[in-house]
Amino acid sequence: MSIIYILIPIAILFVIIAIGVFFWAVKSEQFSDLNKQGHSILFEDDKEQHNKSNDRDKSI
Amino acid sequence: MTTSCFHCLEPVPPGFSAHVKFEGQPQPVCCTGCQAVAETILAQGMSDYYKFRTDSAGKVEELVPEQLKELLSYDNAEIQQDFVSQQGELQEVLLSVEGISCAACAWLIEKQLLGLKGVARVDVNTSTHRAMILWHPQQYKLSEIIKSLHQIGYKAYPFQADDEAAQKQTVAKAYLRRLGVAGLMTMQVMMFAFAMYFGMFSGMEDNFEQYFRWISLFLASPVILYSAMPFLTNAIKGLKAKQLNMDLPVSLAIFGAYAASCYATVMSVGEVYFESICMFTFLLLLGKYLEFRARLKASEFTANLQKLLPLTARKLLPNGEQKIVAAKSLQLSDQIMIKPGETIPADGVLISGSTTVDESMMTGEHLPVKKYQTHQVYAGTINHDGVITIEINKVGQNTLLNQIIKLQHNALTKRPKIVEVTDKVAQWFVACLLIFASITAVAWYQIDPPHAFWVTISVLVATCPCALSLAIPTALTCAVATLTRKGILIKESHVLETVPKLTRMAFDKTGTLTEGRFSIESISILDKSWQESDVMALAVALERYSEHPIAKAFTEQLVSPRQLSDVEVVTGSGVKALFNQQPVAIGKSAWFGNHSSFAQATLFVDGQPVADFYLADKVRHSAPEIIHYAQGQGLSCHLLSGDSSNAVKDLALELGLDTYKNACSPQDKQRQVESWSAQQHIVGMVGDGVNDSPVFNSAHLSIAMETGADISKNTADVVLLNSDLKSLQTLHQVAKKTKTVIKQNLTLSLCYNGSILPLAAMGLVPPWVAVIGMSASSILVITNSLRLLKL
Repeated sequence: MSIIYILIPIAILFVIIAIGVFFWAVKSEQFSDLNKQGHSILFEDDKEQHNKSNDRDKSI
Repeated sequence: MTTSCFHCLEPVPPGFSAHVKFEGQPQPVCCTGCQAVAETILAQGMSDYYKFRTDSAGKVEELVPEQLKELLSYDNAEIQQDFVSQQGELQEVLLSVEGISCAACAWLIEKQLLGLKGVARVDVNTSTHRAMILWHPQQYKLSEIIKSLHQIGYKAYPFQADDEAAQKQTVAKAYLRRLGVAGLMTMQVMMFAFAMYFGMFSGMEDNFEQYFRWISLFLASPVILYSAMPFLTNAIKGLKAKQLNMDLPVSLAIFGAYAASCYATVMSVGEVYFESICMFTFLLLLGKYLEFRARLKASEFTANLQKLLPLTARKLLPNGEQKIVAAKSLQLSDQIMIKPGETIPADGVLISGSTTVDESMMTGEHLPVKKYQTHQVYAGTINHDGVITIEINKVGQNTLLNQIIKLQHNALTKRPKIVEVTDKVAQWFVACLLIFASITAVAWYQIDPPHAFWVTISVLVATCPCALSLAIPTALTCAVATLTRKGILIKESHVLETVPKLTRMAFDKTGTLTEGRFSIESISILDKSWQESDVMALAVALERYSEHPIAKAFTEQLVSPRQLSDVEVVTGSGVKALFNQQPVAIGKSAWFGNHSSFAQATLFVDGQPVADFYLADKVRHSAPEIIHYAQGQGLSCHLLSGDSSNAVKDLALELGLDTYKNACSPQDKQRQVESWSAQQHIVGMVGDGVNDSPVFNSAHLSIAMETGADISKNTADVVLLNSDLKSLQTLHQVAKKTKTVIKQNLTLSLCYNGSILPLAAMGLVPPWVAVIGMSASSILVITNSLRLLKL
């Protein structure tokens, strides 16, 4: 049973990481428009477009 | 059968034929504008838009050269100062985009703009209708970006976010972070709490129990010290202002129980309450956040006031040249020129030219107002048909528009008494609670000092007014969510309390009980040799050339118009032309000679009056029904209109209103409502124009139509997004139901608190019973409130 002395702190570490991810998501405005984010998966070439824009970001 | 346009879904006008090819099939479009846009979208491989959109696109109007020229002024560095910010090499702008209706629009815009060279990032927000664009100014000009947006059917304007909106966004994010922490941590704490509950019955080694307590303490601390902090700061703020608010016992219970639990953990005595306080914090925060979001959405919806004023103005220099300058830089006694169709950028006196001005956003009346020299024109109104020069006599904060906005802000600070009353009741409750808890503490200190602290905490936890403090907000939030779904936007939390108490309803006429659109009511033929159908066909043919709102009533008629030649639009009179070599004209009845009648338009042939047209504003189809409903509910209905014509009386009689008053100025309306209030009536006002915004402040409840002016929507407590008067009935029913639910909630929680209080004070309630009782009462209250969602 003493394994829980190790496992629980590890579980807590995961929770802390989850909170970190959540804070990042809030900061990058992912919750400001839930309607749009929910639909974006429907559009096929979103990904390609995104890569292109990322490439452009780098080139600038 | 009428076909609908592939792009905007509006009916295709008879006789117009144009198509676009979508997936190999020809699809009809209603105008060249829609055709161009649809072709652009399809040609660029963005046909997904048509597959996934959930709402129709707006009708597209082509840009006129004037507007294109205005766009170029957005490239001017001096003008850009106000709305463009530098991000290293890139520039960032926030555009307010007209016509965004669903997520597909956001995708379309992002794809279109990202296809442009030099645009680095686009972020479209479909709820605020704004787009943030980050681009490389050397490669692309702002005007070109806006133009390319127009190619796919969206009108965009630079938008200046005001400080208030930015601050609200920050608050919203802080709420989300607090909620996230509370939610995630509460789940963990609950897990360990359950382990300890089982341990209580089946036995658990002491060192494990102690370990769980420490873990719970560690997990609960962020929830209490971070998520629950606003309650404590609010309570302290209240105390500083010498007021007892609901946050005080809430934070006393949370922080008291937390301190006690910490003490229990460290000293390994007594009970811990970490899971209850975490859950309590989370639920309370959730309720507050949902309430805040509903309000935020409402204010974002109506915040685009800036759009009313143009950013640029055409200034006349002393040497007679024209120069485009930023509207903000205009000074007193500057002279500016305004062309037809443009929005007037500042208040001023007309010094040359004459025109008609659409002041509907100021006055709510849809008929344009004639303006001659020495007349005053106002910023934000639209110049209809003449080129005019004005000398500015008011700038910035002194313009009428800004004064109206200021009036509103003042009014917002002094809200009706209902809110204050609720606050007072809460104060009393809180005071009683605190007194009771202190009495308990003192009494137990006399009887049994070691137990005094625990019993007091137990009293605070058991009687913790969480059910009570959830009773009203959860019911209100559920009701607001239901109403939002039905297209009724609630902007103030007192609305649902006020609606069931209303005793009088006052309505505005134009745009509220009527549609604000003219239609032909009757035609009187003066020259009997003419047939009505010929007269109509001729009138429609002539009015096609006019931009006047009255002309719209004609162009909506479904008759095949006649061919005309030599058409001339005469400002201030009407339209004349040649028909079969015969001079014909339509316009005001006194145009040729001394024919005079009450008709809004007269048709002349050879200078002789042939027919008079009487126009009327169409009554909204739901108006009779809602008046009937209101009167059935014991409310008296009244008409307060700025219109001075007989139409007011006719409408009042037609709808069976109790009283009517015509030719009311905004002050008259305000005075009338105030005198009703003085007679102890609770008054609701429904309106749409800016002239209604002062009276909105005096009325106990103000309701604006979506089609109304932005200012009135900003002032109003309620906005009817679908502009359907029937929504008033829904609002009334939901409000009544909410009142019932709130009453039940309060009874429930007071019964619980009242019965547990003496038991807890006597030390008869073991801590775990207190926790279960508290949670159960909260859950009961929330479940009861959730019923409102299903209405």
